[in-house]
Amino acid sequence: MKTLYISLFAVLFSFGAHAQVDRSVLPPPGPAPKIEFTDPATFTLDNGLKVFVVPNDKLPRVAFYLILDRDPLFEGDIAGLTGFVGDMMMAGTTSRTKDQLDEEIDFVGASLGAGSTSLSGSSLKKHQEKILDLMTDVLYNPVFPQEELDKLKKQTLTSLASSKDDPDYLAGVISNALVFGREHPYGETMTAETVEQVTLEDVKEYYQTYYKPNIAYLAIVGDIDATEAKALVDKYFASWEKGDVPKFEYEQPELPTENQVALLDRSSAVQSVINIAFPVEMHLTNPDYMATRVMNFILGEGFNSRLNGNLRETKGYTYGARSSFGSDKLIARFSASTSVRNEVTDSSVYEMIHEIRNLQVNGITEEELKMAKANLSGRFGRSLENPNTIATFAINIDRYDLPEDFYSSYLQRLDALTVSDINEAAAKYLKPDSMYITVVGNGSAVKEGLSQFGEATMYNYKGEEVQEIQLSDDNKTASEVIADYLTAVGGVSAVENIKTAKLEMSAEVQGNKLDMTAIYDTENQRLTQKVIVMGNEVSKTIVKDGKATVSSRGKSQTLTDEQYEDVKMASLWLIPELYYETMGYTLVLDGATEVEGKATYKIIISNPTGGQVVNYYSIENGLKLRSENKLSGDTTFTEYKEFDGVMVPVKMSIKNPMLPVPLETEVTQVELNVPVVDQDFN
Amino acid sequence: MKKPLIWLVGLCFIQTLAFSQTKIDFREFTLDNGLKVIMHKDSKTPIVVTSVMYHVGSKNEDPERTGFAHFFEHLLFEGSENIERGEYTDIVEGNGGALNAFTSNDITYYYELMPSNYLELSLYLESERMLHAKIDDIGLETQREVVKEEKRQRYDNQPYGTILPETLVRAYSEHPYRWAPIGSLDHLNAASLDEFMQFYKDFYVPNNAILTIAGDIDYAQTEDWVRDYFTEIPKGKNAIYRPDIVEPKKETEIRDIIYDNIQIPAIIQAYNLPPKNHPDAYAMEMLSTYLTGGKSSLMTKELVDKQQKALVVAAIPLDLEDGGIFIMYGIANMGIAPEDLENEIDVLIKQVQEEGISDQDFQKLQNIIENNLVSKNSSIEGIAQNLAEASLFYGDTEYINRELEVYRKVSKDDIQRVANKYLTLDGRVVLYYLPKPQESAQNQ
Repeated sequence: MKTLYISLFAVLFSFGAHAQVDRSVLPPPGPAPKIEFTDPATFTLDNGLKVFVVPNDKLPRVAFYLILDRDPLFEGDIAGLTGFVGDMMMAGTTSRTKDQLDEEIDFVGASLGAGSTSLSGSSLKKHQEKILDLMTDVLYNPVFPQEELDKLKKQTLTSLASSKDDPDYLAGVISNALVFGREHPYGETMTAETVEQVTLEDVKEYYQTYYKPNIAYLAIVGDIDATEAKALVDKYFASWEKGDVPKFEYEQPELPTENQVALLDRSSAVQSVINIAFPVEMHLTNPDYMATRVMNFILGEGFNSRLNGNLRETKGYTYGARSSFGSDKLIARFSASTSVRNEVTDSSVYEMIHEIRNLQVNGITEEELKMAKANLSGRFGRSLENPNTIATFAINIDRYDLPEDFYSSYLQRLDALTVSDINEAAAKYLKPDSMYITVVGNGSAVKEGLSQFGEATMYNYKGEEVQEIQLSDDNKTASEVIADYLTAVGGVSAVENIKTAKLEMSAEVQGNKLDMTAIYDTENQRLTQKVIVMGNEVSKTIVKDGKATVSSRGKSQTLTDEQYEDVKMASLWLIPELYYETMGYTLVLDGATEVEGKATYKIIISNPTGGQVVNYYSIENGLKLRSENKLSGDTTFTEYKEFDGVMVPVKMSIKNPMLPVPLETEVTQVELNVPVVDQDFN
Repeated sequence: MKKPLIWLVGLCFIQTLAFSQTKIDFREFTLDNGLKVIMHKDSKTPIVVTSVMYHVGSKNEDPERTGFAHFFEHLLFEGSENIERGEYTDIVEGNGGALNAFTSNDITYYYELMPSNYLELSLYLESERMLHAKIDDIGLETQREVVKEEKRQRYDNQPYGTILPETLVRAYSEHPYRWAPIGSLDHLNAASLDEFMQFYKDFYVPNNAILTIAGDIDYAQTEDWVRDYFTEIPKGKNAIYRPDIVEPKKETEIRDIIYDNIQIPAIIQAYNLPPKNHPDAYAMEMLSTYLTGGKSSLMTKELVDKQQKALVVAAIPLDLEDGGIFIMYGIANMGIAPEDLENEIDVLIKQVQEEGISDQDFQKLQNIIENNLVSKNSSIEGIAQNLAEASLFYGDTEYINRELEVYRKVSKDDIQRVANKYLTLDGRVVLYYLPKPQESAQNQ
């Protein structure tokens, strides 16, 4: 009975205790927890290596992070070098081939990775000596095989080629070039040319110059104490020899005197990438560091930030808009960015400048400050769960000469900020009239709208300014440009004489041969194109009887009437210019621009169903240097040769979203006015 | 006195075997309404994860109403009787927290990561979501649009983004695994508010959920708060629908071509797997590591590094409650025909089937698995999720501490055996992802 009574009481009690929550108000927080962390143990070897140990026995793992603290490097005509150093170090040592190294790392379930300023390894505690053995082998004895460098360069060239079509990458290249200058380590860009020029000697020299203990920090994090760590470091790192490491200074970039608009024209773009940026001196040591963190959170970090709230939530222009306020010992940058559809490009730039200016002039609210503080301190607290954070804090304090309590007082300093602190920082650091506004998008659709922010200067994918070309003759018409072209290739009558043509072309893609043939039958408006890879036909296009059929790998598809019209305009004729007028296409001369360093007229050709081809004709000699259209991508003509009195392009570079690298194509055979039969078009 | 000693020796032996796996301490209890509660205390950092794992995924959906479970992942951030629309995220972020959710074929998982003094607030938020989430027409409309964008961004507009749905629809003919969690936008558009409410009442009930709290907590205080906020939530009225459909064994290979907005062809092979908690699942996981885990793995070394026929090759066992699929995929290097790559993949699979693996490789696999299992519990976020999954899928929360032991039971021969048993050429699905033809053919 007694037990029953007690349990009954417990039930009643529990009901009493648990039924009283008031759901109409949010439960208040408990007293704020003390956020504490102990400083890592630290010691320095005779060779100058500074070591920080962060014991954390939560898991039986240990990680070793080696960081080199060198000045930023201007790589110049071998830009891209630093990207190769790490992989080259991992490509084998004097006693282990790359295969052996890979196998030994995997065998203990460990990981090991290298970069130009870092080398890190981690494993279970019981394999710590194994990973140190491998890590120091890579550190002391890399052999740098030539064939590995060749392989890496090839991969880099492939990814560079495809990044020319990546609008975010392009916006970054241009914005960095503007903000820091192309002669600055943060403003330079690697290109195919600079990558090609990197030699094995460059890699070795980099390694020999910069992999020195006297500029290095070693962080050891995990299931290990300071005594054990000291013994291991003595064993593995004491023999590392120090050396003189060069120092560099760079000219500080300056703010532009007024807003500058930079535009990279991608005629195929349906979206504009917008990046608004300027250089700023800001680092951890700056007294305004904390205030600028809060300021930027309010402007463009939180989901309900001013930028995202305006552009996404209110206007619906974008999926997201953000800003960042950098921090760097040398020089940092502020940037605000978003991607929007073509039509709202100028409105978006307008709103972004408005938000930056509004914050600079009118400041923030108490409510915003409260939210930002809570979020930033929560983020700080969460970051401490990862023991690497503690190591980073300790290294930063040493590396940048910060006050000892820089991180331990972080939350107090954050909490002490007032609305007027943030407003002063906003007034001081935001520069709504000295910004670089970079837009990567469809030039003809957005250029005019952008002019309200300043005249747009055109840039190319290397971040170089494209020389604005003066039309030599302002009265030139599109028809005249076409007529000049026809004259340049041999004259209308010579072109008219071509009734049929057979072309054979070849290209090489990563060691594989690719053959293409094209047969033109002008009078009957017929065309066959075939692509053959390693003897296999991979695709075939046939245009005849007012229809276009594409077959690939056994599947065949007849294009819609609209697509047929586009194929016809772009590809049906060997020299389509002869037919532009008779087919009723509209021709527009859209100014002059640069193609591969040559001045050209840009002509937009449109058919009645809305299809477009954009051609560029040399101002100097009238020849067509490039043709762009949605179906076949961009074709750049680099060499012409005469056949029966007509100049035919014999070398071209084809760029297409389907191709990871531009297809360098050579015409191997041209036969004009040869007989064609019906079978040729089946 | 002898017996205990032997027992002790045995215990030490097991401990040595399991050497590297740190024991995860936890407490658990179940409320009268069926809500399972798991708590894990770790006071290293003053933060706390509060999560709810609902045992509902796309497989519990009506075939005419697919995408519901995932759609709820959006709807349940809309608010509740006491939380205004759109405030849920603000409350968490404005108090220094972060939150997220995901949906799979089997489960839906929601969690908040907060400073530890906000534990009561997190429990309140999750209890509001379970007790009386507010779903109205405005929320429905808004989230339909958001999900449309999500589908465009993550599936339609993503190169190779449709691999999962395209593979599932061919790998299953009967079982509801044949559709992916994103489901059908048409179904979502066609569904009424009442249907969504019914789904909520059926599945988002305490007896179909596991609440996990991990971090800087006090066990007694946490239990009290859990009882305060969750006791009043009524148990679900209806039996929970769990499909009892056995997928018939496929006898012939299914082969298809998908044309996508991609640059480089990819090949996908999919093989049906046993249920997630079947003993063979561990051998299959180890097999996938043998094939493509790490730079020295069989296929990565051979196809990516040496022959350079593939840019990437990966074996991924998608282990699901009722039997998932083993997905093998390779992206061809430029100029390599997919047929060529597929042949090479098959050659290597046959090699494992016929020759098995070496002692050295077997040892390597054990080391990698050990490292992976240890690393799995490196954050309280990970621990919370692993505890909930242990309880939900293996019916035993303690499984989190036994997993390595289970892997240790897999022998070298088992790996060869499962390669033969499950990677069968007849009955598999083979997909080629190829660039859309009208564009590739027009290169000139």
